[in-house]
Formats: sequence, C-alpha cells, structure tokens
Amino acid sequence: MRYMMLIHHDETALSQAEQKQLWADYAAFNDALAKAAGGETGVRLQPASAATTVRATGDRTDVIDGPYADTKEQFAGYFFVEAADLDEAIAWAKRCPSHRYGSIEIRPVHDPKSGW
Amino acid sequence: MKFMLMLYADDKAGAQIPQAEMAKVMETMSAYQAALEKAGAFVATSALAPSWEARTLRMEGGEIAGRDGTFVNQGGELKVHDGPYADTREQLGGYYIIDAPGMDEALQWAARCPAAQWGPIEVRPYHAGYAPN
Repeated sequence: MRYMMLIHHDETALSQAEQKQLWADYAAFNDALAKAAGGETGVRLQPASAATTVRATGDRTDVIDGPYADTKEQFAGYFFVEAADLDEAIAWAKRCPSHRYGSIEIRPVHDPKSGW
Repeated sequence: MKFMLMLYADDKAGAQIPQAEMAKVMETMSAYQAALEKAGAFVATSALAPSWEARTLRMEGGEIAGRDGTFVNQGGELKVHDGPYADTREQLGGYYIIDAPGMDEALQWAARCPAAQWGPIEVRPYHAGYAPN
C-alpha cells in the first residue's frame, strides 16, 4: 500500500536546531528512502507564511493569506512510502528526522480502482 | 515554479454522496487535470483515503540531545494516535502539484479547480531545491 507521510513541525524549533547536523540526518534519511521505498525522496514546502488559501462561496472567491489551518506545528513537507502495512509505514515515520520537532501524519493514498 | 494545491473538504459529508454521483464529480476533476496538462502546468495529483484512516506519530516528553553525530530524544516516547494531525472543519482529501510562473497564476488555477466549489484550497510554493520533479 502507498502511504503519504505528512510532516508537521514547529518551524521555529527546527530553525534553532543545529542546521548542519539536521540536514545531514535528512540527507541520510532521503538516501534510505530512495533505496528502499520506491525510489522517491521527500519534498519540502516553503513556510506556512508563504501559503495562500482560496475559498469559493457561490459566485464569490475569497483569497486569504496563510495556510488553511492555524496550528501549533505547520505542514512542512511530505514523502511517500510503499509499505506492506501500517506498522511498516510507522517504522518509516520513526526514521524521519522531523519526528523530533513535531509530528508525522500517515495517510493511505486512495486507489481509484476501488471506486469513489 | 512548483506549487501544491491542497484540497480540503468535509470528508464525512463526501462519504455520504452516492457512488454514481461521485463518479460524475470525479469526471469534472479529470477534465480539470486535462486542462492543466494541455497548458503544460500539470505535475502530479493524488486522492487520499479519508482522514479517519490517518494515524499521527508524536514524540511525547523527553529532550532532544546530540549523540554520536545525530539527534536523539532522551526519555521521550513515540506515540501513535488515531486520526489526522489537525482536527479541522474540512480535511485534506487530495492535492494537485502544478507548475506556474508565480503565486497569482497558481491562485487562478486553484480558483478554476472544481474542488474550490465545495471546500478551501491552500496554495503553497515548494522550498527551492526540494520541489518534486
């Protein structure tokens, strides 16, 4: 099964971590991902402050600065894993350096073959 | 420049929509994808399973410390919780990744997306050097 792993971390805490070490850990994690879990490395978004949210109400479309949800930690990036089950996906989440600075949400990707 | 369009919707309400009706709705999403492809703006898309199938891992307690060239949490415990990270009125249900010259153009694409009719869409640029191919 394919899982999307959504990384939410405290942007301030992350910026205060020792950057060289943090990104070395991330490089090692991305290498492991690329080798083991389907050949895809993780991606990173710009900070939540760079987000814009569009909401349509009838004929009106509102454009609002900022992310959809105002949360303690911010959605920062994601990676995908091919895992046999949830336990295997959890093991990958535990290896991701960001679990030290927030939380990782694991969501199965919808298989269109199973219908809507 | 790559952007993620994050589609939020009330997934409990969505689950009540009959299959045949939902299949028609998904056709409008396919047409939207075709328009993105024709414009050379399409990168990727996925639909996610409903938020109640999500699990969230969180390190609780302890302190982060450097040890043997890496960081470890000492004394904390990694807990697995049912559900998504954020408990919100609408839930992340899927996304499009698009290529657009800037935020204004990305917002125009977001406004054209059928999903903008039933829920908000968050548009976020990728961090330079860490965008998907």
